[in-house]
Amino acid sequence: MTDRRRINGPAGATIPPVYDDESRLDLKTATGRSRPPNAIRKMYLKTGVTPSASGSAYLEIETSGKPGVSGLKLSCSVHGPRSLPRSSPFSPHIVLSTHVKYAPFATKQRRGYLRDPSERDLGTHLEAALRGSIIADRWPKSGVDIIISIIEGDQDRETSRFQGDEVWDMMNALSGCITVASAALADAGIDCVDTVAGGVAALVQNTSDDSTTSIVVDPIPSEHEKILAACCIAYLPTRDEVTNLWFRGDLPASDMELYTRLVEQGIQASANANRVLVECLNGTVG
Amino acid sequence: MAATLSFPRPVFAKLSPHPYLLRNLSPADPVANPPARTNGRRPRESRPVHVNASSLSHAHGSALVRSGDTTVICGVRGEILPVSQIPLFRPRENHYGPAAAAAAAAGDGPDGLGLGLGLGRGELKDYDLLVPNIELATGAAPQFLPGVPPTALAQTLSTRVYSLLHGTGMVEGGDLRVWFRPSSAAAAAAGVGGEDVDMGEEGVEEEEEQQVVAYWVLYIDLLFVSFDGNPFDAAWAAVVAALRDTKLPVARWDPDREMVVCSRTETRRLNVRGLPVACSAAVFVEKEHGEAGAGENRHWLLLDPDRLEESLCREVVTMVVDCSEGETRVKSIEKQGGTVLGRELIRGFASVAEERWNEVKKAMK
Repeated sequence: MTDRRRINGPAGATIPPVYDDESRLDLKTATGRSRPPNAIRKMYLKTGVTPSASGSAYLEIETSGKPGVSGLKLSCSVHGPRSLPRSSPFSPHIVLSTHVKYAPFATKQRRGYLRDPSERDLGTHLEAALRGSIIADRWPKSGVDIIISIIEGDQDRETSRFQGDEVWDMMNALSGCITVASAALADAGIDCVDTVAGGVAALVQNTSDDSTTSIVVDPIPSEHEKILAACCIAYLPTRDEVTNLWFRGDLPASDMELYTRLVEQGIQASANANRVLVECLNGTVG
Repeated sequence: MAATLSFPRPVFAKLSPHPYLLRNLSPADPVANPPARTNGRRPRESRPVHVNASSLSHAHGSALVRSGDTTVICGVRGEILPVSQIPLFRPRENHYGPAAAAAAAAGDGPDGLGLGLGLGRGELKDYDLLVPNIELATGAAPQFLPGVPPTALAQTLSTRVYSLLHGTGMVEGGDLRVWFRPSSAAAAAAGVGGEDVDMGEEGVEEEEEQQVVAYWVLYIDLLFVSFDGNPFDAAWAAVVAALRDTKLPVARWDPDREMVVCSRTETRRLNVRGLPVACSAAVFVEKEHGEAGAGENRHWLLLDPDRLEESLCREVVTMVVDCSEGETRVKSIEKQGGTVLGRELIRGFASVAEERWNEVKKAMK
C-alpha cells in the first residue's frame, strides 16, 4: 500500500546508480587516521537557527579532508515546555519525546519518509541521555518535543567495501545528536543540571593482522581496517555522571581492562565535545 | 494617581494581532512614521534571499535557500528506472530514429520547441520521472511536529511544486533518457568478425543500435529547517537552484551485466530551461472576518508575508514569472480566498513579480 499523501513517483522500482569502476576502488586501502588517537574532529555549533521554535541548534562536524566524505550535519529544534494534552495521564515530571529522522538525501541510499527502526533506536538512546540532565520535576504535567533532522549523515560516499558500517555511523550520529540536543535545550531555557555531550570511542584494527589493536576516539570507519567494538557515552562533566552508555561490538569477556579503557576514552571524547558546547553557549549569553 | 497600563510591542502583537498590524499599516501621522508592517518592512518589500548551492555531498544536486527566517534545504537525487520496470512501456517509433537520437545527444531534441509541448514532456508525465516531496514536520514551527502524517499544507505544497515542474517544462524528458549505443569500435569489430554471419542477424543488430533502456528518476526532497511564512516561494526557489546544480553521472547500458552502469568520474549537468521565480503576496483587509461596519474597506498587498501576516490574511496570490528570455513570461497565477484582487491589481502585480525575479536571479548568480 503506497502512501497516498506523498508523491511516490513511478510504479516500478527504481535502482540507485551502480558505478562501473568499483573494482578499482576496492583495491584502495584504508587511508589511515590523520588525527592523534585521542583527538575528536572539529565541530561547529550554533544555537537559534529556528527562530519559531523555543530552542534550536545546528551542529556540523568537519569532513575528514578527503573529498567525497561528508561530515555530520544536524539540525535540532525544541518545542516546549508546554501542557500535555488532556487525554494523557497525569505526570509529575516533564515528558520528553525525542524524534530523530534522517533526511531522504542524508545517506548513500535514499531514505524514506517513515521512520525506520534504527531511527527509533536513536531516539530512544537520545531520550535516555537527556533525561538524566534535565531537572524533570520542575515542570509537572508538561511535555517537551525534541526533534532532530540529520541533514547529512557521516558516511563515506566513495567506498563500497564498508557495507556493514551503518552501526558505527549510528554511534557517531548519536553522539552528535546528544550534543546538539543539549545545546538546543539550553537555548530553550529548560533547566538542566549540566550540559550533556556525546563521545564515541572505538577499538580498531589498523592492519590486517590480528595482533595490533588500539583505542581511538571519534572513529571514521573508512580510516581504519576494521572496527572491533565501539561505545557511545553521554557524560555530565561537572557531576561526573554517565547518563547513557551504548556499547556494541565483539570483545572477550575476560578482559575487563579493555572495557574500562574504552569507556574512559569515550568520557574523554565527551568532555572535549562539551568544551565546544559550553563555549558556544557562553558566546550566546555574553 | 492612575496607573498606566502599557505593554511592549510583542505583547500587543500576540494579544490582538489584527488591530496591531492595522495600526502599523495606517499610522496616525504618515509623514513622521511611514506605514510599515510589524516586521519593519514596507508593504511591497520582500525579504532578501540567500541561495547556497551544492552544500550536500550525497545528493546529485542541492541547494539551501534562506529568506528571512524561512530556511529550506532541497536535495535532488537521481535513480535509474529500467524500461522493463515500466508497465505498458512502448517506444515511440518516430522518436527513436537515429536523427532523433542525434538531436537528443546534442541536447536539443524535437521537444525543444518554444511552447515546451514536445514529446519529452509526455515521457516525464507518463513515467512520473519527477518526484518532489516536501517535509514540513521537522519542528520548523510549533504547529509542525513529527509523528503525524503530512499535513494538508505539506500535501498542497508538494502538489503545487509537482504541477509547476511539469507546467514550466524546466526539465526535458530527453535529458533523463539513458541510451544503449554500441560503441563504434565494437560495431567495427562485429563487422570484421561477422563476415560469415548471415544478413538476417545483422539486420537485427541494426535495429537494436539505438534504444532507450532506462530513465533517470529525479527525487526532489525538500526539508524545512525553519518556517516563517511564504513556504512556496522559498521551496520553489530551492527546487530551481537545486535542479540547476544537478549533475547526473554519465550512464550507459552494459550488455554483459544487463544493467545500467554509471561512470564515477564523468558527470553531465542537467539541462534546465529558464528560471521561473515564484512571488507571493497576501491581501490584508481592514475589517476582520465577520466584522460589520460602514466606511470603505481598505486593503494592503503584503509581499512575501511572514507567519503572523499569513495567519491574518485570507487572500493570497502567487505568480510565477520567468524573465530569462528577455521578455517577462507568466508561467502560473494562483489566487485563493477573498475577492479583493481584481484584474488591475493582478496586472500590476506582474511588475512586482518582475522585481522579485531580478532579486532571486541575483541571489542565484
